[in-house]
Amino acid sequence: MKNVVIAGYCRSPFTPAHKGRLIKVRPDDLAAQVVKGLIEKTGVNPHDIEDLILGCAFPEGEQGLNVARLIVNLADLPISVAGMTVNRFCGSSMQSIHIAAGAIQLNAGSAFICAGVESMTRIPMGGYNYMPNPALYEKLPEAYISMGDTAENLARQYDISRADQESFALLSQQKASEAQQQGRFADEIIPINTPDSDLVDQDGCIRTDTNMEAMAQLPPAFQTNGSVTAGTSSPLTDGAAAVLVCSEEYADAHGLDKLARIRSIAVSGCAPEIMGIGPVGASIKALQRAGLELDDIDIVELNEAFAAQSLAVLKALPVPLHKLNLDGGAIALGHPLGASGARITGKAASLLKRENKRYALATQCIGGGQGIATILEAI
Amino acid sequence: MDIKKVAVIGAGVMGASIAAHITNAGVPVYLLDIVPKDAKSRNAIAETAIKKLLEAEPAPLMHKNNARLITPGNVEDHLNWLADVDWVIEAVLEDLQIKQSLYQKLAAVCRDDCLISSNTSTLPLALLTQGLPKSFTQRFMITHFFNPPRYMRLLELVAGPDTRPELVEMVNRFADIRLGKDCVTCKDTPGFIGNRIGVYWLQCGLLEAMDRHLGIEQADAVMTPFGIPKTGIFGLLDLVGLDLIPHILKGMELALPKADAFHQVNRLPERVANMIKEGYTGRKGKGGFYRLNKTNGERVKEAIDLETGSYHPAEKPKTDDLHESVGAIAKSPLQALLSGSGPASLYAWQVWSRTLSYASGLVPEIADDIVAVDTAMREGFNWKYGPFELLDQIDVAWFVDRLRAENREVPPLLAVKQPMYQVSSGQLTFAGLSGNYQPVRRAEGVLLLSDEKLRQPAVLVNPSASLWDIGDGVACLEFHSKMNTLDMDTMTLIRQSIDKVSNEFAALVIHNDGENFSAGANLTLLMQAIHNSDWTAVEQLLLQGQQTFKALKFAPFPVVGAPSGLALGGGCEILLHCDAIQAHAELYIGLVEVGVGLVPAWGGCKEYLRRWLKLPKRPGGPIPPIVKAFETIGMAKVSKSAMEAKELLFLAHTDGISMNKSRLLADAKAKALALSQDYRPPEPSVYAMPGETTRVLLSMGVKALHLLGKATEYDVEVGGKLAYVLSGGHDADITSPLTEGDILALEREAFVQLVQQPGTLARLDHMLKTGKPLRN
Repeated sequence: MKNVVIAGYCRSPFTPAHKGRLIKVRPDDLAAQVVKGLIEKTGVNPHDIEDLILGCAFPEGEQGLNVARLIVNLADLPISVAGMTVNRFCGSSMQSIHIAAGAIQLNAGSAFICAGVESMTRIPMGGYNYMPNPALYEKLPEAYISMGDTAENLARQYDISRADQESFALLSQQKASEAQQQGRFADEIIPINTPDSDLVDQDGCIRTDTNMEAMAQLPPAFQTNGSVTAGTSSPLTDGAAAVLVCSEEYADAHGLDKLARIRSIAVSGCAPEIMGIGPVGASIKALQRAGLELDDIDIVELNEAFAAQSLAVLKALPVPLHKLNLDGGAIALGHPLGASGARITGKAASLLKRENKRYALATQCIGGGQGIATILEAI
Repeated sequence: MDIKKVAVIGAGVMGASIAAHITNAGVPVYLLDIVPKDAKSRNAIAETAIKKLLEAEPAPLMHKNNARLITPGNVEDHLNWLADVDWVIEAVLEDLQIKQSLYQKLAAVCRDDCLISSNTSTLPLALLTQGLPKSFTQRFMITHFFNPPRYMRLLELVAGPDTRPELVEMVNRFADIRLGKDCVTCKDTPGFIGNRIGVYWLQCGLLEAMDRHLGIEQADAVMTPFGIPKTGIFGLLDLVGLDLIPHILKGMELALPKADAFHQVNRLPERVANMIKEGYTGRKGKGGFYRLNKTNGERVKEAIDLETGSYHPAEKPKTDDLHESVGAIAKSPLQALLSGSGPASLYAWQVWSRTLSYASGLVPEIADDIVAVDTAMREGFNWKYGPFELLDQIDVAWFVDRLRAENREVPPLLAVKQPMYQVSSGQLTFAGLSGNYQPVRRAEGVLLLSDEKLRQPAVLVNPSASLWDIGDGVACLEFHSKMNTLDMDTMTLIRQSIDKVSNEFAALVIHNDGENFSAGANLTLLMQAIHNSDWTAVEQLLLQGQQTFKALKFAPFPVVGAPSGLALGGGCEILLHCDAIQAHAELYIGLVEVGVGLVPAWGGCKEYLRRWLKLPKRPGGPIPPIVKAFETIGMAKVSKSAMEAKELLFLAHTDGISMNKSRLLADAKAKALALSQDYRPPEPSVYAMPGETTRVLLSMGVKALHLLGKATEYDVEVGGKLAYVLSGGHDADITSPLTEGDILALEREAFVQLVQQPGTLARLDHMLKTGKPLRN
């Protein structure tokens, strides 16, 4: 079978929904600017691209109508490039990478743009017309459970204190802050032009000056007696991310910069009321498929939907903190649902190279009760 | 000439709130103040003032967005801005030198036809303009606003001998029509009308209570029957600020002639002086005559003992304790109250006999006629009746006889002992100085229901409502029950009115000139039915209302609602059934039924939902309009202005807003007449409802709020029933649209289920007993 590689990664700045500097940018325009940036940065010949596969968790309104195809047009890609929008909620754009990898191995194309986008400002979480199935709600109300409640469930089930959540969130903020100050995001961020002629090139969610005292003041965000606060949850975020996925042969033939090879992938289901534990099942499958042990993994990008959720995963998958989310996670950077999978997979690939390590795991939890994981190896 | 841009100089509380109210008229304002020392921004004072406007309660702005119409600046850098304004309002310190030096600067930059006015409350115009050239004095006058400017309707106007009449007219029209003010022309005398009489009254009240050792709670309570707001005298002084009293007294002392009766009450009691010294300056300070004291976590209202200076928990005196009942021999309740021999009665007599005598002696010194004085005291001090209206209620002859019996001077105006007002051939007239009665004139375009009611008997009448002929083929339906609540009499009169108007009129306006349009349905009948467990009777009450409002909606003539003040529950529902609404800017409208554990069931859910469904610019799909309707009704949202009511869709974008309550009826009548041209009743609406899925969605939302402590357990129950109605019921499907009747049936079903639950009964009981919603 063909080797599949990640040969480029970039993203927009991630900024807070409703108040950040990207609120006026349509998600299709946002993603198109990132895709253009990726083409420029990698030097890939756009005519060689088989498909643009784009993840989006609420693909309607300005990010509806198979927006992937429209982004092909907006990004001035050749008309021959196809476009497909993928929805696996938070796992959407990691899934787009998995689809490309499968296609390459089936010899159904050699270069794919795998992207993701979410404007949580312009399209509300849940979409405009949330229409649950009444019979399913009767049978399994948890199928529609709110994400905050799942985090509370995990905090209770795994006995995770509020203070532990806050320490975890603070660490994420500190790592992200330091990375930002040292310019470690500069090579992954594509500056975004906005309709009001702003050029946004910095992340906007990171809270550099937060501390344990400030976080302890926050009220519970979902349940009066709960322990999860806005400080220990990933913020609503606007953002887009993209990676170039191609066969290793193609990358070599065209002199592309290979970041990492895809070693194995997996998805799995779990109970929806503890959806945050999803990475455990998916990661174990992916490790088995890769023939690796958890200890073999040097770099882990675990999407931080909530601190309680991340800590619950770490109890079952004991990853040492020095391997985890080196430049901070979603609690600090933000979590534009459809874009996060491409970000953490691209990030894990580039970290393997930067840190000169061998194996990386990127994994996410998914609303409704799922996990998704990708194992990468250095080239 | 029209006023398109205004500047206010002086960004203190008064200046900033005047600026805010001008933006309520949609007019942009520059707000300038001095450059503060060592501030980061040279506009800091105005900028801070704007921030405070957004937080102040009661809100000076009718909509938060209006703040964007205020441009902050300073008088050093931005005086050139004033070159393009039509009106400059000076609201700086009451210091003649500061004002005059500012006027000279203004004269240099303002256009020739720009009016410059001062908001001074004490300095006479003659003094302000002393030494200034005619080129200035001809465009200068005094425009004195009352605090808070959005809510107090009085604007005192003082023009000088040189002031150009067209500029006075320009401001008068703008203030009347756009700012909603009742403009009163005053003579150029100290304190004009409101403060001249008001300060005298407050001083009388303060000193008499001290001299008579009367508790301040008793003193304030005995003022209420005279139509004084429940703050009384001492509560009002707390609101004004005790520290201002010496300044006001000093100003009056210097300005008023020696013979003026003011000097007899010009005394600052030592107790008050000490309170000021110790920081007890009123609500803005550590407390005043009253204070809120926190003991054991509970806030207790305390009152000061004027003799000892110590505080005690405030008593709530009952009216019966205030005076001995002599009602049998008295002509009116007020006369009875004043005739009593109890301490409160004696106090009231002293305060009112002196205040009313003082006021009677000031016409024509301060105003041309008694109408101006009454208007000023009503609209500037929130008195229910002006001094001369009070005299009529007390009876002028009785008042004069008692003054004579006490060997006191009788003001010439009262000497003939005739009533101050009289209705003659359907026209309200007032006593002129010569003793002749003259008609009370209204500003052009003003139409008052109270005037119309004098002209003729009602077309239809019963204890709760009446129908009046207001001319040009338009009828006016008036509610007049307590709080204008709607009961079965109201419904009967509406149905009779529909027949009457169909045959004899072209259009109908629903309006009353009470403080509030309607507080909603009268709950008494409902409570009876609930206590008898008579659910059929409950359903009948609902059917009556639904059918009446439906008949109103589909009547063969246009119906225009013209509300002011509160329009809650059923009062909101009737408005939702009108073809159009012309609202007073101060409209507090909402469907508040969930507060008593119910859902709107006189067609309120049906009509409010329709407004969201038909809104062209709403997000697509069946869910958003239902969610919007659910949020508003489910949280019992009430607008804080007519502008907000538009945002909440209680008013349609085509509905009108009248800033001046006195013009509301005329505006509504014009709207009704316009609609009556080729009028066709509306087509019944159809409702494509998604059904059960939405109920599940909405219930999930309420449960999430419950987990967050923002909804109570019973809120979840009531919210569930509301969700049931608004989603179209169990059997609805998007492919089979429902009729208006289907939604009405759902309203009844949910309502009848809710009234059988103890949670709803507890909420109803609590509301009837306390007037406040129960959070169970």
